[in-house]
Amino acid sequence: MGILETVRERKLFFDGGMGSLLVAKGLQPGELPETWNITHPEVLQDIHLQYLRAGSDEITTNTFGANGLKYGKDGEFSLKRIVTAAVENAKTARERYAAERRMQPGAGGDDGPCAYIGLDLGPTGKLLKPLGDLAFEDAYALYKEVVICGAEAGADFVLVETMSDGYEAKAAILAAKENCDLPVCATMIFDRKGKLLTGGDVASTTALLEGLGVSMLGVNCGLGPVQMKEILAELLKVASVPVIVNPNAGLPRTENGRTVYDIDADEFARVMEEIADMGANALGGCCGTTPEHIAKMTARCRSKKQLLPEEKNRTVISSYSQAVEIGSSPVLIGERINPTGKSRFKQALRDHNIEYILREGVTQQDHGAHVLDVNVGLPEIDEPAMMEEVVRQLQSVTDLPLQIDTSDITAMERALRIYNGKALINSVNGKEESMRAVFPLVKKYGGVVVALTLDESGIPETADGRIEIAKKIYRTAAEYGIAPKDILIDALCLTVSSDSRGALTTLETLRRVRDELHGKTVLGVSNISFGLPKRENINAAFFTMAMQNGLNAAIINPNSEAMMCAYYSYRALADLDPQCGEYISVYGGQPEAAASAAGNAGGQQSAPGEMSLSHCIRRGLKEQAQEAVRALLGRRDSLDIINEEMIPALDQVGKGFESGTVFLPQLLMSAEAAKAAFEVIKEHMSSRGESRQKKGKIILATVKGDIHDIGKNIVKVLLENYDYEVIDLGKDVPPETVAAAAAEQHVPLVGLSALMTTTVPSMEETIALLRRETPWVKVMVGGAVLTEEYAKTIGADRYCRDAMASVNYAEEILQKNAG
Amino acid sequence: MMEINVRETLRYLGYQGQPADGAVMELIRQCWEELERMASPRSIWREYPLTVSGDEIDACVFRIESRALGKNLRGCERLLLFAASLGAGADVLIQKYEKLQMSRAVVMQAAAAAYLEDYCDSVNEELRRRYEAEGWYLRPRFSPGYGDFSLECQPAVIAALEAGKRVGITLTDSLLMAPSKSVTAVIGVGRTPLACVVKGCEDCPKTDCEFRRV
Repeated sequence: MGILETVRERKLFFDGGMGSLLVAKGLQPGELPETWNITHPEVLQDIHLQYLRAGSDEITTNTFGANGLKYGKDGEFSLKRIVTAAVENAKTARERYAAERRMQPGAGGDDGPCAYIGLDLGPTGKLLKPLGDLAFEDAYALYKEVVICGAEAGADFVLVETMSDGYEAKAAILAAKENCDLPVCATMIFDRKGKLLTGGDVASTTALLEGLGVSMLGVNCGLGPVQMKEILAELLKVASVPVIVNPNAGLPRTENGRTVYDIDADEFARVMEEIADMGANALGGCCGTTPEHIAKMTARCRSKKQLLPEEKNRTVISSYSQAVEIGSSPVLIGERINPTGKSRFKQALRDHNIEYILREGVTQQDHGAHVLDVNVGLPEIDEPAMMEEVVRQLQSVTDLPLQIDTSDITAMERALRIYNGKALINSVNGKEESMRAVFPLVKKYGGVVVALTLDESGIPETADGRIEIAKKIYRTAAEYGIAPKDILIDALCLTVSSDSRGALTTLETLRRVRDELHGKTVLGVSNISFGLPKRENINAAFFTMAMQNGLNAAIINPNSEAMMCAYYSYRALADLDPQCGEYISVYGGQPEAAASAAGNAGGQQSAPGEMSLSHCIRRGLKEQAQEAVRALLGRRDSLDIINEEMIPALDQVGKGFESGTVFLPQLLMSAEAAKAAFEVIKEHMSSRGESRQKKGKIILATVKGDIHDIGKNIVKVLLENYDYEVIDLGKDVPPETVAAAAAEQHVPLVGLSALMTTTVPSMEETIALLRRETPWVKVMVGGAVLTEEYAKTIGADRYCRDAMASVNYAEEILQKNAG
Repeated sequence: MMEINVRETLRYLGYQGQPADGAVMELIRQCWEELERMASPRSIWREYPLTVSGDEIDACVFRIESRALGKNLRGCERLLLFAASLGAGADVLIQKYEKLQMSRAVVMQAAAAAYLEDYCDSVNEELRRRYEAEGWYLRPRFSPGYGDFSLECQPAVIAALEAGKRVGITLTDSLLMAPSKSVTAVIGVGRTPLACVVKGCEDCPKTDCEFRRV
């Protein structure tokens, strides 16, 4: 019987702590515990055996920290040897235990412990990008190595544990799922508030893990059993798979350099019994627990009745930090990240202007979107690459879940793979070909998929036809193991201007999916008004009707006041907004303006109108600078405005910064105001077919090993203000990348940033390489630990103590080049 | 709830004691508010036996030579290893605004630095009280990277505290901490009180630093 069958029949018992037992046997501080698999196999075998005698059904291999970062490919302690030895030790213990049991009188017909071997995958010890320096794919590769060795050596299941980052857990689970056939279980560290260290909560984490197809999930480490009860209660509300609880032996404190835990085996067992009664399906221990803890726990809990969690049937998507449930209250999916019919958006895609796209996302969030649709399809760009990059970037600036919107299956898979959560997927339809392509991705990566009610014969004109297709989609999804809860039926709406019954058909479909199929629905609401004037009127009215007919999720423009008004009003009227609290908080006290909660750098609002452009830039007033420039554009030439108003204002602020009367935040606010004004001029010029020559290209990079690039980003803002084209290579950039870009773009100037003494050597290396490969290039450097002298020692042309210094040097170099 | 610390935030922004205008003050207030929401300050400390002879320091988890630390720990019998972090949330905010609004990013980064220092001070103060109640006195916090206290000690400190799983601090290959708004430090524990407890900044020999406390 496998572990998953056993847990269905009775409470399952995990083993307890490993580290503290090894320390007791003489493991030294700083010594890698996994080496003991090879140097002290008898100790490991004995610990496993003690846990089996204590009643554990599983033993976890001593591979918590075994990964390619700590262990090499070859030698005595190669990763393969370490992992193989760990599994062998567990197997030996299991054999010894079986032999012991056979020796016992009356052992025949034994239905005792099964001794499943869990291949332990712990955290890599690194934080994933973009906050840390380990790429998601590299984390995946590290886990893959361990999984392959462990499965080959004979582990029975994979235990991903002690994870405090859902993204890292995803890398481990994918590596396990793709490289072996064993069941995968995952347990995470939550704090007392029910949060992961990286910000996820119980609901978002459960959505992610169940989406990835783990067989059991739960919580371990971090807390003692008492504190875990609250987390467990949360878990039981949302989880549909068996739940594991492996607490520490209470909370830790140090005594003379040793960590000790505050509850003993009796108390541990007593609380674990309560946890078993609450509904935990698998119970064990973590740090500080010993075979004694486990023995006492199994004695108390062995005869408890197993009660598996019910299928929760919740339709949930998630971001790295929050879950969004698609249920009775309509969910708003922001539609603005989409080039269709938007020339500026198309241009942003062609120019690789990610910032523009991110702003579209953040603005929609500020206006109340719950989910962001992401569509970056444009014939002339590499959609899979762009989709992956935009998803990466968006998930670093927003905590909203994303809807991956593409018909390109490669783009869909690449986005789903690196997505940090359980995504909405847009879309599949009733065509065989579509379902064959999309459903495997939904199954593998998890997600809720939008299913369009059309198939090979087109869009049915009647609700009957659409319901039939919905049924077919549910049926086919089931064959792939996808539950109805993970499907949103798109009832489809076509413009009412071409079919006057179209809206009614859509509404009937919504109702019937809800009432007959008990399914969830979604609509691209704005389609209804194509070809009509004042589209918002129709959109908002139809939106209200659709919600009234059961619409669960709406793809709309959240920046539209009419749509948001329909939404807030509907919620107030449909008893979804207690005491109309949200409605009042949005509309109360602001009689005219609607929900404009845009997070602007505040405190800048002063009376518009009469201020000069120069004043607005000096004071860092963004909107007013734009107004002022618009007023000027009617009367004066664009270049005059730039050269006679804007540049002198920027110079003045720059000089003030250098002399210590203007400070960094003001310098940047001015730069941002100038940038906003430049945007207006740029649009004006391009509408007349004019354009402005950039002064030259400059490469900026934060050197390899350094992940702090705030300094470099400050320099970038200012250089762009002074009309240089900045090629920003980002952070943690290898010397070769800098040199290759400098050669390819033939830039005259490269700016390098390094924050720490430990990363200055890689700055030196980069300069040396540039000298060899691109001898014409000048190099300016900056960063907290650098000085004039230090910069000279490592061979830089100029040390720039601040952002203005780099602007001055750029002017010097590029002017010289021009002249 | 951490009280908003305008003075230290401005110091990190390089104001050197000068006042900020209304817009910047408002930005500081907003950043602090966002930090309150997104940061999740956590800390951990553990105590170790300590032997100091001159510049040679044996703290069980590391053995090093450091003049500066030797001076700091003179007369101490025990050592606290200490780590604190604002968590991923603060970095998320800083990185977000680096992409969208640099002026807010620099204020956020300064506010987060001030927030973290204040948090460390509050934990430190609690430790001081606890130890003084038992007749022990704490030396000022001293971090790897100060003076000649090598950053190379970071891995040992992080490992001894299990800072990865306890408070979420990890190290990059170049020994930077991630999340960036994190602190590790040692705190000496001795039987004699110090006449004057100076903190890191005032004690630093780099007197022309633009961020120096004034």
